Amino acid sequence: MERIPIIRMSKFLLVSIQVDMHDRLALALQEDLTAKINETNARGVLIDISSLELVDSFIGRIIGTIASMARVLDAETVVVGMQPAVAITLVELGMSLPGVRTALTVERGMQILERAIGPTVTEGTDAGPEE
Amino acid sequence: MTVLLAVNIRDEQGIVVARQRTRQVSELLGFDPQDQIRLATAASEVVRNAVQFGRGCRVEFGVAGRTLLINVQDNGPGIADPQAVLDGRAGSANGLGLVSARRLVDDLTIESQPQVGTTVRLKKTFARSGSVPTDQKLGQIIAELLKSSPEDPFSEVRQQNRDLLKTLDELRERETRLAELNRELEETNRGVMALYAELDEKAEAIRRVSDLKSRFLSNMSHEFRTPLNSIVSLTQLLLDRADGPLRDEQVKQVNFVRRAAVGLSELVNDLLDLAKVEAGKVVVRPNTFLAADLFAALRGMMRPLTTGDGVALTFDDAAAVGALHTDEGKVAQILRNFLSNALKFTEHGEVRLTALAHADGTIQFAVSDTGIGIAACDRERIFEEFGQIENAVQSKVKGTGLGLPLSKRLAELLGGRVWLTSEPGVGSTFYLSLPRNYSAPTAGTPGERSRRAESTRPTFLLIDDDEIARYLLRGLLENGTVNLVEAEGGRDGVRQAKLHHPRAIFLDLMMPDLSGFDTLDQLKADPDTRDTPVFVYTSHTPSAAEQARLAGKVAGILAKAPTASREAAGRVVWEALEHAGIAPPRVTHA
Repeated sequence: MERIPIIRMSKFLLVSIQVDMHDRLALALQEDLTAKINETNARGVLIDISSLELVDSFIGRIIGTIASMARVLDAETVVVGMQPAVAITLVELGMSLPGVRTALTVERGMQILERAIGPTVTEGTDAGPEE
Repeated sequence: MTVLLAVNIRDEQGIVVARQRTRQVSELLGFDPQDQIRLATAASEVVRNAVQFGRGCRVEFGVAGRTLLINVQDNGPGIADPQAVLDGRAGSANGLGLVSARRLVDDLTIESQPQVGTTVRLKKTFARSGSVPTDQKLGQIIAELLKSSPEDPFSEVRQQNRDLLKTLDELRERETRLAELNRELEETNRGVMALYAELDEKAEAIRRVSDLKSRFLSNMSHEFRTPLNSIVSLTQLLLDRADGPLRDEQVKQVNFVRRAAVGLSELVNDLLDLAKVEAGKVVVRPNTFLAADLFAALRGMMRPLTTGDGVALTFDDAAAVGALHTDEGKVAQILRNFLSNALKFTEHGEVRLTALAHADGTIQFAVSDTGIGIAACDRERIFEEFGQIENAVQSKVKGTGLGLPLSKRLAELLGGRVWLTSEPGVGSTFYLSLPRNYSAPTAGTPGERSRRAESTRPTFLLIDDDEIARYLLRGLLENGTVNLVEAEGGRDGVRQAKLHHPRAIFLDLMMPDLSGFDTLDQLKADPDTRDTPVFVYTSHTPSAAEQARLAGKVAGILAKAPTASREAAGRVVWEALEHAGIAPPRVTHA
């Protein structure tokens, strides 16, 4: 069965959703991502939804759940690249993605994550993995 | 309402299709991108609801005026209080999607009947488009939708999977059938093997029976021959009036007895020959001879058989064929069989013997006749024992039915073969083809080698009815350098002379069946034996008249002198031979 790839970037996990997700795929992503956080001790998760043209209540809920779970596992979640139309629709739907940080670009998302984790990690990324 | 498209959704994967289709329809109808996403999201919510609670649904896209209608119909358990759901009073995740969807469209209504199904109707008016789309425009949209049918990739894979499974099933079935066929084949194979074994057994049994038959024939023929010879000899005695005169009627009767006995004896002889060939007891004795000589001998032999009423017996000149080295006696026997056969079945016309030398070292003899011919179906059969064919001529002439089979066996023995061509009513041609030089299949036993050596020695023929006289003469001549052939009487002597072509003939004058004088006349009359030197060897002192009768025909007259010493008698014989220019190698007696 198809999966959405999860890429490890030093202390962060990068997820880029390139396909129109069906429900099971979204659930699989949730499962994979939590397992991966646990496995890699990742401190941050960056979810790129710039290719996603539609986020309905289910997918919105999944994204929220992923963010909550990650927080419990001591990882920050940033959703980046949401298209304006998608954002409008989400709000009209009555969903505001509570607890999910968003950023317009990947770059800003990375900054948010680094800031959230603090200076230790910034050094760590420069000097190499230590923790 | 004009229906643009209908899609059946069965599972979650179908939700993606519903979304994509909604997006496509709204785009084609001219909704702006934001509204496209709103509609798609709303459809996604409603369809998910239908899939989750209604186990699949049918999504219908339609246009009425300037409004897009999306009807999602499921056959689920239905919703007890639709209004409560819309008001957000249901208190479950169930209604959440519908509530959300309602915010994205102009209107959302729910019709539900418990246990029958639910229909959710979504309505949204084209925001900016001023005019109502024409039927033509809608037709174009429908065509566009049909053309690009973004099939759900998952269901496509599943369809392919189903096809694959079906193919696999078919394959498995075919495999089963193959295995079955294989098993059947194996069984058949086993059956065939068993049949083979049976055939082998049968073949072995047939071989044994054939052996038995040959041995039986050989033994029986032998047992027959002795009494038959007695009958022939005794009837001859009676006919010779050795025991007093016979009345005319008695002579006739004895003649009948004798003729019957002779006929029977011939049959037995043929049988014995055949049995011998089959038992492999016949020895080939090759010698070198001219085909022309063979023809001459055959002519002499066969002429008495011609009935003289309109059948010509013709021998072609065989000088061109030259010399052969094979068993002359057997070749003669085969050709004699062919000739007598041809004469038997030819009432008018000609019987012709020809010989032809082929470049590959084979000689082909052919006996053609203008007789009754042989039908195609009988051509194989006549080479089988007793394989005579029913016809008018057949019943008139006698035959043992063994001549042709015997010829066939003899030809095979000489490394050749016999066959025939024939046209019923026109005539037949029998062929004998054999190598010019006979080569023994194997080196042969010492006995065979010595016999072959024998055949290269000069042959002398002794014609004398008196066994003791023959015995004595054999003693004088036999020193290991000559072959001796004996004949018990004049007639037999003439026959043997033709058969063996002796270098010299010793002839007794006083013989019961054919006197020496008559024998001599016959020998001299036959071109085959005319040139063979004849020594009269007799105890009877010829009278002046008899001497005159012998003059010019004999090479010498030797007197049987019982009183003379063995050496003296031998010297007389040898000197006579030398005198006649027949110089057998002088080995002993010097």
